[in-house]
Amino acid sequence: MNRSLFHITPSGWAGLFFAAFACLVLPSLAGNLWLSVFTSTGCFMLAGAGVAFMYARLGMVSLTQVGLMGVGGWVMLRLNHAFDLPYEMNLILAGLVTMVFGGIMALPALRMRGLYLALVTLMAAGGLEILFATYQFPNGGEGFWGVKTGSAEPFRRPALAQGPAAYFRYTVVVVFLGFLLIELHRRLAPGRAWALIRRSEAAAMAAGVNVTLMKTWAFGISGLLGGVAGGLLAGSLGLLDDGTFRASESVLLFALAVVGGARYWYGVLIAAALFRILPALLNNWGVDADLSFVIFGAGLLHAVITAPDGIAGQLRGALRKGATA
Amino acid sequence: MIHVSQVSVRFGGVVALDDVSAEFQAPVNGIIGPNGAGKTTLMNVISGFVQASSGNIVKDGSNLMDLAPHRRARWGLRRSFQREEIADDLTAFENVQVQSDSAAGPSDQNDIMAMLDLVGMKDRAHVPGEALNSFERRLTDVAKCLVGNPKLVMFDEPAGGLSVDETKRLGALIAAIPEQTGAQVLVIDHDVELISAICVDTLVLDFGQRIAFGPTDQVLADPRVKAAYLGTEEV
Repeated sequence: MNRSLFHITPSGWAGLFFAAFACLVLPSLAGNLWLSVFTSTGCFMLAGAGVAFMYARLGMVSLTQVGLMGVGGWVMLRLNHAFDLPYEMNLILAGLVTMVFGGIMALPALRMRGLYLALVTLMAAGGLEILFATYQFPNGGEGFWGVKTGSAEPFRRPALAQGPAAYFRYTVVVVFLGFLLIELHRRLAPGRAWALIRRSEAAAMAAGVNVTLMKTWAFGISGLLGGVAGGLLAGSLGLLDDGTFRASESVLLFALAVVGGARYWYGVLIAAALFRILPALLNNWGVDADLSFVIFGAGLLHAVITAPDGIAGQLRGALRKGATA
Repeated sequence: MIHVSQVSVRFGGVVALDDVSAEFQAPVNGIIGPNGAGKTTLMNVISGFVQASSGNIVKDGSNLMDLAPHRRARWGLRRSFQREEIADDLTAFENVQVQSDSAAGPSDQNDIMAMLDLVGMKDRAHVPGEALNSFERRLTDVAKCLVGNPKLVMFDEPAGGLSVDETKRLGALIAAIPEQTGAQVLVIDHDVELISAICVDTLVLDFGQRIAFGPTDQVLADPRVKAAYLGTEEV
């Protein structure tokens, strides 16, 4: 078969080379500040992968993804300060809790599509924003919420990745595994079912697909990726702030996934870079980082009018044109 | 045998199907009628997309009304839609594989390839849906209906938009389904030539009511059927 489970496509090879480049070269080129920005970019790339695959494979718009990152980050911090479990165990638990949270949150929304689904997920993001603002993130305090005033307790990073460079490499590996998880699904029965659901829910049901289960599973996988991303971000910063997980950030991440190109891994990379690296660059150049919103708006108009597959789709088209010329 | 008994469907004040009954015993059966007669509604009731207000659909002792649409597919119900439903980002092979993923007895890759071969799509098996022409997409849809031990296969206007030659080829494929798979077939189409060529028995609906049912040639010669299609002269 041409597209067997373990077949590596040219895009897959490019992803492998990019991950290797990020692991081997970037840490030696960037200082600690930029490594922190790149690690944060990796976290948002993983969360963006969840929202992008739901949009590209199922045609579903989720505007809760950054809120779900907050859930994962909250669980990660809570576990870190409450128990002595290894970092990896905390990360997996943070992902699984967020996966269940995402799946449950999706259930009432599954009968809706398009704008209505987007609005319901946006309201969920708004609810999470209020919860985070009210209860804050655990920082080593007592009780269920684990919040105390004053300086936070130290966060235990993985034994393998104590320093910024090692933690960045660690993040790259986890992000890579996240993309592998999506690709694995795409090549197996769930991916085929999702493609048919996107085409027509009636046709999917006629093909024996349990549409509710498959859509819930997609929300769950997206939640898992968001939760792990939030856990990684908590590990990078040591503490989290409710301002990071506002509903508007979820809307922005989705919009940038459309601008970057939700169907391709490099589209999600472009989205995460626009989301995290562009404002940092503007700051570095002494320009107000809010200018990035103007650039995002222009990018979104460009995508909506001329590039339905985003910047990544245009790049792919140009490369193919170049190869055939 | 498919036993449709006293099926009624109402959309608000509109009666889409009014106490329709029929026993389909032939391997290939037709359902015809003018636009708005209730043909697709009946097919949607059988596939579970439309809830009947009363009645039963029984096939080989199983009452399909008890099952959700996706469970009917797992039981062995297959259907195609007026517009072919092929996912653009899956290959022809993968489009057929979706059906076998959920079938009661999952087919292996050889079965899928055998069905694609049967419809003449073996050489195009690994072409993405977006690169297939409309006839190839329709043939892939037919292959999808054949995998995983189907018991009942339904086609809703399968020849819509096809040329005369393509319609003939499709008709031959549909006529061969009972022999190839053991499934019974129901076909809705406006192409009376296609219906008379492949359907042994035919049900005629008009304004949601059964106006004729029996051997296709007799049904087509029935004055009530002619009147339903052509209208009657008022003097």
